[in-house]
Amino acid sequence: MSTELYIAQQIINAVSLGSLYALVAIGLSMIFGILRMTNFAHGDMMMVGAFGTLVLQFMNLGFGWAVLGGIGIGALAGVVVERVAYRPVRGAPEVTLLLTSLAVTYILENLGILIFTSSAQNFPLPEWMDSAFQLFDGQITFTQINLMTVALTAVALGALGWFVTRTDIGLGMRAAAEDMGAANLVGLDVNRLIVVAFAIASGFAGLAGILWAAQAGVVEPHMGFTPLLKAFVAAIIGGFGSIAGALIGGYLLGALEVFIVAFLPSEISPYRDAIVFILLIGFLLFRPNGLLKRSQEVKL
Amino acid sequence: MKLTRRTVLGSAVVAGLAIASGPLARPAAAQETIKIGAPFNVTGALSSVDAPALNGAKVKVKEINDAGGVLGKKLELVIYDTKTDPTVIAATASQLINQDKVPVGLGFTDSDSALALGPIFQTAGVPFVTPGATSPKLPDQIGTDMFLACFGDNVQAAAGAEFVLGKLGGKTVYLLRDNSTEYTTLLAKYFKEAYLHGGGQIVLEDNYKAGDKSFTAQITKLKALSPKPDVLYVAAQPDDIGLVVKQMRQAGLTQPIVGGDGYDTPLLLSVGGKAANNVYFSTHAYMAEDSTPAIVTFYKAYKAAYNTPPENAFAALGYDTVGLVADAISRAGSTDSAKIRDALAATQGYKGITGSISYAGDSRVPQKTVSIIGVKDDKLYLAAEVTPNWIPKP
Amino acid sequence: MSGMQRLIVVVAGIALLGLFSFSAPAMMNDYFVRILTVMCINAMLVVSMGLANGFTGVFSLGHVGFVGVGAYVSGVLSLSASAKASYLPDLPAWIAGLHLSFLSSTIVAGLVCVVLAFLVGAPLMRLSGHFVSVATLGFLIIVNVVLINADDYTRGARTFTGVPLQTTFPWAMGWLLLALVVLARIVYSPKGRAWRAVREDTIAAQAIGIDVLPTRLSAFVIGAFFAGAGGSLYGHYLGSFSPAGFYFAYTFSLISMLVIGGMQSMTGAVVGVIIVSILSELLRNLERGFDLGVVAVPPLYGASQIVLGIIFILIMIFRPSGVMGDLELSFGRIAALLHKGRKE
Repeated sequence: MSTELYIAQQIINAVSLGSLYALVAIGLSMIFGILRMTNFAHGDMMMVGAFGTLVLQFMNLGFGWAVLGGIGIGALAGVVVERVAYRPVRGAPEVTLLLTSLAVTYILENLGILIFTSSAQNFPLPEWMDSAFQLFDGQITFTQINLMTVALTAVALGALGWFVTRTDIGLGMRAAAEDMGAANLVGLDVNRLIVVAFAIASGFAGLAGILWAAQAGVVEPHMGFTPLLKAFVAAIIGGFGSIAGALIGGYLLGALEVFIVAFLPSEISPYRDAIVFILLIGFLLFRPNGLLKRSQEVKL
Repeated sequence: MKLTRRTVLGSAVVAGLAIASGPLARPAAAQETIKIGAPFNVTGALSSVDAPALNGAKVKVKEINDAGGVLGKKLELVIYDTKTDPTVIAATASQLINQDKVPVGLGFTDSDSALALGPIFQTAGVPFVTPGATSPKLPDQIGTDMFLACFGDNVQAAAGAEFVLGKLGGKTVYLLRDNSTEYTTLLAKYFKEAYLHGGGQIVLEDNYKAGDKSFTAQITKLKALSPKPDVLYVAAQPDDIGLVVKQMRQAGLTQPIVGGDGYDTPLLLSVGGKAANNVYFSTHAYMAEDSTPAIVTFYKAYKAAYNTPPENAFAALGYDTVGLVADAISRAGSTDSAKIRDALAATQGYKGITGSISYAGDSRVPQKTVSIIGVKDDKLYLAAEVTPNWIPKP
Repeated sequence: MSGMQRLIVVVAGIALLGLFSFSAPAMMNDYFVRILTVMCINAMLVVSMGLANGFTGVFSLGHVGFVGVGAYVSGVLSLSASAKASYLPDLPAWIAGLHLSFLSSTIVAGLVCVVLAFLVGAPLMRLSGHFVSVATLGFLIIVNVVLINADDYTRGARTFTGVPLQTTFPWAMGWLLLALVVLARIVYSPKGRAWRAVREDTIAAQAIGIDVLPTRLSAFVIGAFFAGAGGSLYGHYLGSFSPAGFYFAYTFSLISMLVIGGMQSMTGAVVGVIIVSILSELLRNLERGFDLGVVAVPPLYGASQIVLGIIFILIMIFRPSGVMGDLELSFGRIAALLHKGRKE
């Protein structure tokens, strides 16, 4: 197989993976930006979205509607979690928020196991999504799912971009992310902004979960675990709290992961995750504000 | 004493202890039942195989009790959910022996759980039979009280190798393994030994990790092989096999794909879809409505009790393990652990629905026939029954 | 309380607990002894985790990584030669030849973790707040990946088995008491006060001349020693384990014990372990279904984990400082209790 085609295939894989990381990382950064909270339960919104779609399909809703419904259920779950678990501890030290989110993730995953059992369930896709385009005599495989991933991500990002630049609520969110106190002072309803932020973030995560499940062919309660960790890395690389940063970080990370496996000797590829996290630690030490944000954190 | 927060808390702790010991302090074994310890991973990563095994076991218990029980008494399964957590498994093992005082135990479909529980039962001299932990090394690792009711992975790998060489005529094989579990790593190792011994040739070996979404790296290397291998042997677990098969077919690979009982899951057909055609796997029994009469009876009974057909062969294994243990108890003529152990070790030709179980000599791994199941026209069928001629050493 | 009286109380306490641990198997059945043994191990791990977390404000999520390293290092060292040959055939010769006793392998495990903690902590302890939490989380993940892939040494993701079952209740209790004594001495020394100052207000601490980095690093390293030793105890209790056992589930379990008991005090750590352990066992037995006479509750496996998670959140909301809060069971209090008893 020629090198150019191999690289092309890897680029396709990287974009596909990067889109998923970007979707999740954006939500993480959004929540951190407004609440200064590392939300470990974010990954479980992926699971909620994917299982939501599964259940809706089971109830004989068409695939398209089931996907929209799944995203909606994800968003709703995020809002509920915020109201029930996070709002009572708002203002508490960061550690408390972090721990609360750990507890939420524990509960959600175990609920998932209780309802759906811990084994993987088939994630059915409509016939037309199951096909793949084979180019250059099968050396490049480009699946419908890849296409859908990129397309839906682009739509979601476009909608988000419009939202934060053109709508009042969106602008309010950005204001609150920059300075919560000031936003309060000028009369913005901070509670509503936070709810909206959680809804969008969790909806994005839900979408990412659906796409992830489509690629893997299965859903299971722990599916959000690894993507969450990767999304953290992506968000931090890009600048924790910055939406644009999370976007860039997501694609960078996707590319990095795919290239580690594809181009480095095969003895190294099992250590792929370790390399990613060493990179994370490196960023935390030397460029904690990521690639995009200007220095804001007080370091020791 | 003032009713301070601390007092309340302290009393709660004491009350908690009291309540905790309540259910734990079981009354002495009711005269009417024979207890069989039944630890299973009902929750946690292994529930998809343990839960059916437990359900199958319960079907057999009901059947035996309806027919009058064993030695005039009814059987009682003392069930614990061990949550696929080794600490819980150890605590449960101790509970079964010290609190419930069971004379014999059965459970688990994976070797890691059996390893966590084994030493505790062995020290107490209580025999334990596992329906589905297929590592043939288990009895030697634990001791004389550990028995397998299923064949060992060396047997099913050897059966797979003979099937590939014989029925499929595959002279060259590409070997892919999931290197993150004991089961798949060993299965691949035994297959390689048996296949090479039979005169086959392995053209390439490769690995992946459970949970990987994309196998393009491995598939690319495979497609670059020339000449193409006749057969692809993939040692995989239930959650991954659907995806592996799908991606291989999507990449244009049409060779037969062969594997072990990790393929014995509804996910193979549901996730794999059309890609699952021309896939073969070794397992303990062919669970369908056109199987042997014994299996069909079990199939119907299971469906009646649980509203779903048996999910995989582990349900049948659970059923057979209870039957095996009950048979040993009645041959021993008592509920003494040592006598039950000896009766188990002396088992010859117990006719279970997954095959005939005998322990030859000192071995505590049964010699059983392996069923090879194939997929054609999107359906499962029994492709062969193999009793391998040469078995790699555990 | 005078120094002499203090010493007597401590020695008496240790002697009593030691006596209890030796005689326990005779007094209660093995199941309860096992629960107590695991409680001691967890207490040791939680107290050492609390050292860095509660006292210096640095919340390390990587503690269980050290526990895992300790378990594997001590496991490899104490495997018999034949077990090594059978399970780890590719071990380098110099390790394959080593065979240490339980105590030595535990100490070596602790020391290896000390070195590791230095290497990891030196860069990481500069960070603050959630950054250090995420970074130490990265450490946990890296340890997990290395354990899974260095399969010549660790058997990879497969079960590491054959470790001699040498952790008895006396051993666990002994190590726990050692940890408590050592940590108490440190925490209540001038150095300890410095540590707590760092947690309260980093900038103020620096202003009065307390060097923050070495302070945090010392807490991190000492915590790591006991984590490694605890890992060895745990490994020799289970006899077989795998990298998955030293990952998120265990981390969350220990964190919940720390948080529920109270992050600020050592007594809190121990109380948290007791509460969570008893609660877990109680719930685990209840979820098998029970008969209330009027109504039979069917088995609902998996419910116990959810209930624990909910309790955790409730504590976070209503009593984030945990059951013990800031209170420590100090000698002053013990004296007060004793005197009160005498008066009445």
